[in-house]
Amino acid sequence: MEISKSSSRKAQWQKKSLPYLYLLPAFLIMGVITFYPLIYQVIISFTNFETQHLLLGLKSPELEFIGFKNYVDIFTAALPVENFNFFRVLEFNFWWALSNVMLHVPAGVLIATLLNTEGLWMKRIYRAVYILPVVVPPLVVATIWTNIFDERYGAMNQLLANISTYFGHVGPIYIRWFEDVKPPIPGFLPGAPLTLAYYAMMMANFWLGWPFMSVVATGALQSIPKDLYEAASIDGATGGQQFWNITVPLLRPAMIPAAVYGFTLSFNLFNFVFFMTGGGPARSTELLVTFAYNLVRNLRWYGVAAAFAVIIFAVAMVVFLITNRITRATQNYSEA
Amino acid sequence: MASVTYKNVVKKFGDQTIIKNLNIAVEDKEFLVLVGPSGCGKTTALRLLAGLEEITDGEIVIGDRVVNDVAPKERDIAMVFQSYALYPHLSVYDNMAFGLKLRKTPKDEIKRRVNEAAEVLGITDLLQRKPRQLSGGQRQRVAVGRAIVREPKVFLFDEPLSNLDAKLRVQMRAEISKLHQRLQTTFIYVTHDQTEAMTMATRIAVINKGNLQQLDTPQNLYDHPNNLFVAGFIGSPAMNFFPAKLAKNGEKMLVDAGDFKVQIPDSHSAPYKNMDGRSVIFGIRPENIHDPEFAPQNINGEKVPAKVDVTELMGNETLVYLVSGKNTFVGRVDPRSKLRINDSTQVVFDMDKFHIFDAGSEEAIR
Ligand SMILES: Nc1ncnc2c1ncn2[C@@H]1O[C@H](COP(=O)(O)OP(=O)(O)OP(=O)(O)O)[C@@H](O)[C@H]1O
Ligand SMILES: [Mg+2]
Repeated sequence: MEISKSSSRKAQWQKKSLPYLYLLPAFLIMGVITFYPLIYQVIISFTNFETQHLLLGLKSPELEFIGFKNYVDIFTAALPVENFNFFRVLEFNFWWALSNVMLHVPAGVLIATLLNTEGLWMKRIYRAVYILPVVVPPLVVATIWTNIFDERYGAMNQLLANISTYFGHVGPIYIRWFEDVKPPIPGFLPGAPLTLAYYAMMMANFWLGWPFMSVVATGALQSIPKDLYEAASIDGATGGQQFWNITVPLLRPAMIPAAVYGFTLSFNLFNFVFFMTGGGPARSTELLVTFAYNLVRNLRWYGVAAAFAVIIFAVAMVVFLITNRITRATQNYSEA
Repeated sequence: MASVTYKNVVKKFGDQTIIKNLNIAVEDKEFLVLVGPSGCGKTTALRLLAGLEEITDGEIVIGDRVVNDVAPKERDIAMVFQSYALYPHLSVYDNMAFGLKLRKTPKDEIKRRVNEAAEVLGITDLLQRKPRQLSGGQRQRVAVGRAIVREPKVFLFDEPLSNLDAKLRVQMRAEISKLHQRLQTTFIYVTHDQTEAMTMATRIAVINKGNLQQLDTPQNLYDHPNNLFVAGFIGSPAMNFFPAKLAKNGEKMLVDAGDFKVQIPDSHSAPYKNMDGRSVIFGIRPENIHDPEFAPQNINGEKVPAKVDVTELMGNETLVYLVSGKNTFVGRVDPRSKLRINDSTQVVFDMDKFHIFDAGSEEAIR
């Protein structure tokens, strides 16, 4: 009796501990490649770590612990970097992600709905074509769009010149898309002027962003039962009313997670911004990630960059918590 | 309130003709049931009326208006779908109010109508729920409720009870009948269940393969089926059929089924007088076949030798499956019957209640 009890307890303990044993390797690897650098980074964010400390790391004799100076410098714009203001970059970064999603989602839904029309010819071809941008490497996309917005030879300025001839304008147009620092709509976003470069990037990223939303919407549209539309048409709903009262609410459970995903993607859209504008002009299109890259690659202020990364981590955490909330709130919103 | 007329209606899907020249005149306030086997075009007929499918040829008239080119929402009809088609994201209340809101009905009027309908259907407690939180029967009621708040001229039902269990189906059948009496509106109801058709309809339209077979009251359909299809479709267990020949025997007419011969009583023989040798199908319903021991005295009984194959005791009646030569048939006999498996007997056919159909055209001869 006694023996069987203790042996069963042992068996139980084994059963309980087994999953942890299996998880151990993953934890070890995570520890080496994630937690160790993370902690290391937090430590050097409190130092004046620069290029000369790379060799000996934390053991460098002249490495100084300077407390929160790096953080204070970042928040008070006291870094000797031109045109840098942390809160402006942060605001722009949020607005950039938000404005992209606000364009991509409705456009994707609208186009998916139109392409879902019964009896439309060559549906599949349209769908295949619009998904293409998604698979083109971002560097290629950025290069193409940089050329399109070229001041002298770009297609955009030529197109505008052509259009403007209908309004009586003669001669070429030279808009300096990536250099002009004067915001075309002053005061549109208080605190963070939106230069022409922002609009150029919006256009380019629109081309890249809506197809994904459209793919998600197309999938979700297929799962809306047809008889709901029939019931609504008998109930008296016009095509537009059916769209607003049935399509939109029933697409929501699929589109909100996609929008959240799109938001985080745009929020950290490093290569696009980096290749197209490099954060310019005058850092007006700088994102948190591109600036962090600048701090390390160009300025080599590892201590400051580490502090900046910690801040980004905090911001990303907040974004994650909020978006996760939104996604979860829609999770149970499945239909009957 | 409105009558509904199908005039020479044809519906093709591609080159497949699903409905071939349908003519039905539904009177105002009538409860018309469209019944027929699966795939015969009942739903299609209903969807044509609702405006969900375009009519290939012919005319559909609601009231005195030809509605061929009228949009569904302008037809003043309401439809209860087989799948119910409730809006999953709206509460029961909003599901019912949806059509009224679109028509810009005043808020308190909407509230009054929805609450009234909910009261009638016994779903007042469910108004705040979402469809997924309802049982099948409750969803069905909501679907009906959504139809009645609109106060349309015509109600269309497409097999609304087919997703319910047997007991609930019986209950809802009665409730829909009550609803019809209460609303005094035209109901058009599709089903493939002939019990539903018989119990609810004021008239039944039997459809097969896109053709109207017969349109009549339930009793007339049962007593005087126009053709073999209707005879076999209406009634459960189905009518017994025997391939046979008509034969003259002196002044009398006989039905010669090979394994047995039965005499047609003089009172019924007039239509068959000149049909000596004609190939026919002889039909008789199970309840007109009697155990010899309990056969009523006042009928024109004809004895038919048969062997008992199986008996099913139902309590209030007994079904006897019989074999006579190469024919098998069913009798619905008195529950006191002592017929048991493998008994040889002489069952009695009530020859006042027989049916004869032409073997070629399958039309009734009468
Ligand atoms: N949109 C369509 N395209 C092509 N064929 C169709 C279409 N809708 C229905 N049909 C065909 O029309 C015929 C009749 O269909 P319908 O749905 O009217 O049958 P039903 O009598 O309602 O059958 P059930 O009792 O099974 O519901 C079927 O053979 C079906 O395959
Ligand atoms: Mg059907």
